[in-house]
Amino acid sequence: MSLTKIAVLSNVNMNFVIRLLKKEYEVYESEGYGNELGVLMNPQSSYHGFGPQVTFLLMDLMEVVEHQLVVADGATVAIDRWFTMLESCLKPEGIYYVSDAYLWGPEIPVLSDPGRKQALEAVWQKRLQDLCSHHTNVYILPYRHMVEQMGEENAFSLKTWYLGKILHTNEAQKRLSALICEKVEVQGRTAKKVLLLDLDNTLWGGLAGEADHTPIVLSEDHSGLAYKNLQRVILQMQKQGVILGIVSKNNEEDAMEILRSHPHQVLRPECFAVYRINWQPKHENIVDIAQELNLGLDSFVFWDDNPTERELVSSMLPQVTVPDFPDKPEELAPAMAKIYRKFFEKAAVTKEDLDKTKQYADNARRNQLQARVENFEEYLKQLAIVVTKEDPAANIVRLVQLVNKTNQFNLTTKRFDQAQMQEVLEDQHRKVFLYRVEDCFGDNGIVAAGIVECKEKRGDAGKEAVKEAFIEELVMSCRVMGKNIEYAIVEDMENALQAEGCQLVKACFLPTAKNKPVETLYEKLGYTVIEKRRDGSKIYEIDLAKRPERVYYVTMR
Amino acid sequence: MKERIIALMEEVFQVPEGMVTENTTMDDLEEWDSLAHVMLIGELEEQLGIEIDLDEAAEITTVREILEKAGAI
Repeated sequence: MSLTKIAVLSNVNMNFVIRLLKKEYEVYESEGYGNELGVLMNPQSSYHGFGPQVTFLLMDLMEVVEHQLVVADGATVAIDRWFTMLESCLKPEGIYYVSDAYLWGPEIPVLSDPGRKQALEAVWQKRLQDLCSHHTNVYILPYRHMVEQMGEENAFSLKTWYLGKILHTNEAQKRLSALICEKVEVQGRTAKKVLLLDLDNTLWGGLAGEADHTPIVLSEDHSGLAYKNLQRVILQMQKQGVILGIVSKNNEEDAMEILRSHPHQVLRPECFAVYRINWQPKHENIVDIAQELNLGLDSFVFWDDNPTERELVSSMLPQVTVPDFPDKPEELAPAMAKIYRKFFEKAAVTKEDLDKTKQYADNARRNQLQARVENFEEYLKQLAIVVTKEDPAANIVRLVQLVNKTNQFNLTTKRFDQAQMQEVLEDQHRKVFLYRVEDCFGDNGIVAAGIVECKEKRGDAGKEAVKEAFIEELVMSCRVMGKNIEYAIVEDMENALQAEGCQLVKACFLPTAKNKPVETLYEKLGYTVIEKRRDGSKIYEIDLAKRPERVYYVTMR
Repeated sequence: MKERIIALMEEVFQVPEGMVTENTTMDDLEEWDSLAHVMLIGELEEQLGIEIDLDEAAEITTVREILEKAGAI
């Protein structure tokens, strides 16, 4: 989705930032500044008439607290009031960025207790974090980091403040505009998933395997430290959900020896979900990896110091992103940080993201097992799959993510935002099912969900009322597809409905460009098609008393 | 210095080269509004190290005055 309409609201003059942003987007022309809550709250305001897709709230904390620098009194009250009002005017379909706090003003340098600046900023920070954790469509705009990078003297100008309530220097306003562009990009694009890395002269200096003569460059000083810091950046990316892989031309044993036991190596073998350390052409290895991880080539970024390898990969596999490689060691870590922000950064990180490497590494091993075990049933038994029911209300963020991000195994492709999902959870006539899947290789996390609507259908004269249910949503992550887990899940949902006196279940399949894999799911489960429409959609029903036996190897908990 | 100041003004106002001359005034140029004026004062300071006093900055309406304050003519 490409985002084109944005709004920048502030309590200081942001017109120059808006002017800069107009080169890229349609930007809301605010009427002055300082009425940011007013325009949000008033449904008749020009802001709502404009209808921005992303709204940035760039707030100067000093103006919010109106120079009251006592934490306990005025300041906290003012901050609380601001957030309470903001929260009341958030719309579920909007995307909001709120700046974090940097308290700046002429009196700050003479505060006898400098801790108070931090304490005031912390009040804002706490409220902001709370707001973000309750609303999946609210994000933090890292304004504070920008000021820290520039330094107060370069970021703020009293002169332009006095001239026109413009708080920031021109340079700071240009950076603010760039920061806003970056966030709009992040919202509009699909993040990459896998970073494939070369080893020699990429993760360390020099060549592995010639260690006796030329030890590799990786240490605590000079360019050795530059490589170590690069690895630190990559490790942090891995912890935030980027899947790492190695595609390198080396002798595997030489390379693994360094990965395992070099004292300055930050990235150990377990950090990588997959590796191809061999002498095959790299593009062939990458195609191989894509199959093993069950991901499209457009999910990959490939990084290599050798321009020939980069050129070959980008010409053979144009879907793979191949960023440039810096000339100087001191540019390595910043270049990688830039790659992260440009290609991998996600608007929101969930717990599932944090465990991704393990899940994909486990999956790669599962696929290897599948290749070894001849018989599919045997393979499923060996997996020892366990499906556990999870509380939907306690996992609403994951539930919303699952329902909105799943394209393949999605029977109706009905999307719910957080607010709508909250309503579904509170609806007495609907039941929400959420499942975690584990197997002998590890925990896949929460990967499947279903929403069922229950109806009481009045019987015809003389007959009893019939309780029936309709499966309006059924999704499962493609990570766990192809193991008949869906049979166990649908059966579990049916059992729960039957226990409540339901006799008939209806369901439907609505075709999209992506959900072909589940086109005949309900047929396989023994449902009968009762209506077929021209657009390919189908309505089904099943009598719960007459269900066929379904073959799966899953333990339900 | 005169040329650099004029070039900077054209950049801030986002007008084609040659639009700003020694004789240009705020009334001549639609792009030279009050916001652009503050930006210009900021850019003169940040880019060229030319500091114009606050009160004078608010009063200036012509290119000639800017050049005078900057000591460029």
